[in-house]
Amino acid sequence: MSDPARPSHPLLFAAAFGAGGLLSLMVLFNGTLAGYGSLLFSSWVPHLTGSILAIVILLALRPRRASKTRPPLWAYLGGVAGGVTVMLTSATMNSALALSGTIALGLAGQMVFSLFADIRGLFGLPQRMPKPRDYLALALIIAGSLVLIFLGGAP
Amino acid sequence: MILFAALAVMAGVLVSLSRQINGRLALSTSAWESSFWNHIVGLAFITLAAIVFGGLFAGTPQDAPWWAYLGGPVGFVFIAAGSWLIPRIGAAQTALLIIAGQMISGVLLDIIMGTAGNPLARIVGVALILAGMWVARSAKD
Repeated sequence: MSDPARPSHPLLFAAAFGAGGLLSLMVLFNGTLAGYGSLLFSSWVPHLTGSILAIVILLALRPRRASKTRPPLWAYLGGVAGGVTVMLTSATMNSALALSGTIALGLAGQMVFSLFADIRGLFGLPQRMPKPRDYLALALIIAGSLVLIFLGGAP
Repeated sequence: MILFAALAVMAGVLVSLSRQINGRLALSTSAWESSFWNHIVGLAFITLAAIVFGGLFAGTPQDAPWWAYLGGPVGFVFIAAGSWLIPRIGAAQTALLIIAGQMISGVLLDIIMGTAGNPLARIVGVALILAGMWVARSAKD
């Protein structure tokens, strides 16, 4: 295994952290929309407007394809997994788990599967072995997230 | 209850799975094109679900504030960012740093919007997350 790239590059680190900020805005916007319309609507609208912006950006930037070989067909199906996610969370949010339980268990599923995928190098992505330091970072960030999710609300 | 807990865990797995599949597509194409396919395929899938289940336009979506409709453009950049990051820093680091950013910006948004919260829990939670980022950031083992 080659030297695993780490997020020590400030740009990568800032981009991932900033993407989390975008996610917060998405949750706020889409969640507000769900307060007025149906849950399907609050996912359908952002996919529609996101697709429109995507077409504009692709026409404007015309990004080059990184490789001449065609990607496997399954690589086009990421959006289906995203769509199923919306349906699952809309079911669990209305159960006894509520929003906090849904988010907390979702974080667990996300981290365990991400580590598994890195260790095995799933889906043609580079294989990476997490180091002890990575597990410490994971424990601290997940602990902080759980404190915010379960104790951060109004006392 | 066990069933719903399993579904919630599965939702998290699918978030990661979706990001990996999009990341694989970006390796052959580009992060922007990967985000485009994620959105257009997702749109087709949700439209199909809406036709099957119905009720897409239920409620009073026309009464929502205009800014609630801005999630799509933000999501397009967000998915492109994830597709760009995952082959470079791995699935776990991408997920962890996105979670850190989401949690801390969530606290900031709550404070800006005046949402009531427990100040001590907010301080402890943000401090733990910042400590975790500091550990992740120090590259030498």
